[in-house]
Amino acid sequence: MDKPVKIRVENLTFSYHQTQIFENINLDFTDHAITAITGPSGRGKSTFLSILNRLWESQPFAAMQGKVWIHLDGQWVDIYGRTLSKPDLRRKVGMVFQTPNPLPMSIYKNMAFPLKLTGMTDKTLVDAKVTAALQQAFLWDEVKDRLHDSAFGLSGGQQQRLCIARALVSRPEILLLDEPTSSLDAGAASVIEDLLTELKKQCTLIVVSHYLDQVSRIADNALRLEACGFSQV
Amino acid sequence: MTRATQKAARIVFFLSAAASAMAAALVFGFLLVFGFPLIGGGEFFSLLTRPWSPGQGLYGFLPMITGTAAISFLSIVFAFPLSLGTVCFMGGLGPARISRLVDGFVRFMTGIPTVIYGFLGIFLLVPVVRTLFTSAGSGMCILSASLMLSLLVSPTMIIFFKDGFDSVDFRYIQAADALGADSVQRLIYVILPEAWPGIVTGVIMGLGRAMGDTLIALMIAGNAVHVPGSILDSARTLTSHIALVSASDYESLAFKSIFACGLTLYVLNALAVIAVRRLDGKRGQA
Amino acid sequence: MNIRLLGGCLRVFSWGAVLVLTGSVLVLLGYLLIKGVPSLGRDLIFGQVDILDAVLLRKRVFDGLFPAIAGTLSVVALSVGLAIPVGVCAGIYMSEFATVFQQRVFGLMFDILAGIPSIVIGLFGFSGAIFIHRYISNDFRPCLAVSVAALAFLVLPYITRTTQAAMQGLAEQTRQAALALGATRVQNIFYVLLPRSVSGILSGIILAIGRCAEDTAVIMLTGVVATAGIPGSLLGSYEALPFYIYYISSQYTDEAELMSGYGAAIILLGVCAVLFFLAFIIKRRLAGPAGPVTGRFHG
Repeated sequence: MDKPVKIRVENLTFSYHQTQIFENINLDFTDHAITAITGPSGRGKSTFLSILNRLWESQPFAAMQGKVWIHLDGQWVDIYGRTLSKPDLRRKVGMVFQTPNPLPMSIYKNMAFPLKLTGMTDKTLVDAKVTAALQQAFLWDEVKDRLHDSAFGLSGGQQQRLCIARALVSRPEILLLDEPTSSLDAGAASVIEDLLTELKKQCTLIVVSHYLDQVSRIADNALRLEACGFSQV
Repeated sequence: MTRATQKAARIVFFLSAAASAMAAALVFGFLLVFGFPLIGGGEFFSLLTRPWSPGQGLYGFLPMITGTAAISFLSIVFAFPLSLGTVCFMGGLGPARISRLVDGFVRFMTGIPTVIYGFLGIFLLVPVVRTLFTSAGSGMCILSASLMLSLLVSPTMIIFFKDGFDSVDFRYIQAADALGADSVQRLIYVILPEAWPGIVTGVIMGLGRAMGDTLIALMIAGNAVHVPGSILDSARTLTSHIALVSASDYESLAFKSIFACGLTLYVLNALAVIAVRRLDGKRGQA
Repeated sequence: MNIRLLGGCLRVFSWGAVLVLTGSVLVLLGYLLIKGVPSLGRDLIFGQVDILDAVLLRKRVFDGLFPAIAGTLSVVALSVGLAIPVGVCAGIYMSEFATVFQQRVFGLMFDILAGIPSIVIGLFGFSGAIFIHRYISNDFRPCLAVSVAALAFLVLPYITRTTQAAMQGLAEQTRQAALALGATRVQNIFYVLLPRSVSGILSGIILAIGRCAEDTAVIMLTGVVATAGIPGSLLGSYEALPFYIYYISSQYTDEAELMSGYGAAIILLGVCAVLFFLAFIIKRRLAGPAGPVTGRFHG
């Protein structure tokens, strides 16, 4: 493996409502690569993603032990330590969900939302970043004339690309995608697969997918989750 | 279960529902009929503007309308920030464990009888008001009643506000969290803008509850029959007026006038109910 | 940095609101307990009369709360007993048989009934008593029966609403299982839906009981008095705990009577607290069989 390690999971144990989900997991994720996670549903694939951006902490009755190290801005950071706040973490580790979840706003406002959260007010700067992210997500040409229309007017595939673009606008180093194409038709799914392959150049991607052909198409590594542990595929 | 029994059951169900629905109309009807001498012939509206002076043949309840308005609105002025702040606390600004405690405490508060608020008001709050504000006379005034009333209606408002917060589409909150919003930003940018129907409903319901309460005003607002000039004045509400006058001879005109009072309260309530149902329609509920 | 300042203010504001709200109520309740607990005891309820004599109605209690407590128990039991069958049947109709139009119209009427101020319901009860006095029997006057009827009007919407909500809230599969096997709608209601809705209906009933027990405005106008002994007949006067508290607050003649007011308030509050816990336990059992709330993140 010539590419550096981006994420290191150490001795991860996770339980939900007293049910063990993960037991002593040790994993490395390679930088600038797509790692796919497959396995039967209901075992914890989405939960695993949420451990990488600490989103699981808003759930009651969940408990975690172990460490997660991510190589951010040139150094190793324990994401459960004190150095990085959760909001800052989530700007570095973006997430895209199974069903697109645009906010009830215009396309432009959706895109500008993460920037508003950081207090960025310079309109030219915001415009530039929004345009760049939309272009990255292969969506710019389709929405450039209707940026101020509601995001709900887009098709399913477009909404998902909007969510990816929105996650990209903060220039994350890692992108987590939870079954990003399962709610889309084959044509829209294929566009997103090409997009993910492009995005390898600037981020590390972890994709949960139960489509094995998709995994063989785009993934550099594949992990299979079964019975509290992962195995290499 | 025989066919006949089943048919009978269906009839019983329908009759129960119809009778229950008629109940509201029955109340209205009795009030109308019994208050008729003072309601018929356009008299009703003059009642709304005249003062109360039975000795002079004046049976208006203008002072009581202003009393109700003053006490109710002032109690909402106190209750609204308390309720909204509490719901924001439970919506993420406060630690989860304490939020659950607060939620339970608020639910407990909904069961505290109003007569107890009134009773404690007399012996704990009124003396305090009396010493703090010398112009408050005995301390039984609009301010005292409003303070107690705000404690009474806050749980109602909190529950409706919280319903509004909870009804915000979970996916919006999930998106905001994943994009790096902290709990304040999530509240201000996503939850509050979407939850406003619940907030409006809560205010209306709280106002309705405040206007409909009898005991607090009866026990600690003073019951003077004049149009109040300041919140330190004693005042009487439509509800406490009904309670006080009902002790008098029921053949008298004074007594009959309180049916008109009751009708006013009834109509106010009905308007509030209709307004809330319209709002719920906007939220997409039947 | 504007958002940071606003956020900070909001945090302070919300903490402040919670502290003021809970603090005020805790101060009030604390004051009540401090003042009232000393007066709690056998004498508060039974006065000078022996407990057994009082409960077996051999001797009348004049200086204790026993008649008021008995009065409250009677009026609550009778009015809720009256309201339950009507309310549950109405709720069943609304949930299972009502057309959209009926749901809207009946629903509106129920909401209006639910919102009528209690003093107005009391006034209605009084007018009913006048009506009977004028046209049926000259001896009739506000009494236990009138209070019971009026209170039934007061709490009917609670029972109807919770019954309707409980039945409508059942999972679609539960609602249709028996029908798919050939049951009629009425059979479905009695054999499947009602038994499944018991928890919800029960919490509505508890709500109604609490509402009746604490009500003062309705009973003030429909037959409660300060001294009447335990309720003898439906056509007679009676005492009640909340009315006693109201009455004693302005009519107390000495320290002891005032203290009995505090004691009565504690008893009433205790009753409400017990009902609250009952409702809480029932809600817990409601959630129990369904299992813990499923997580949002699933593999």
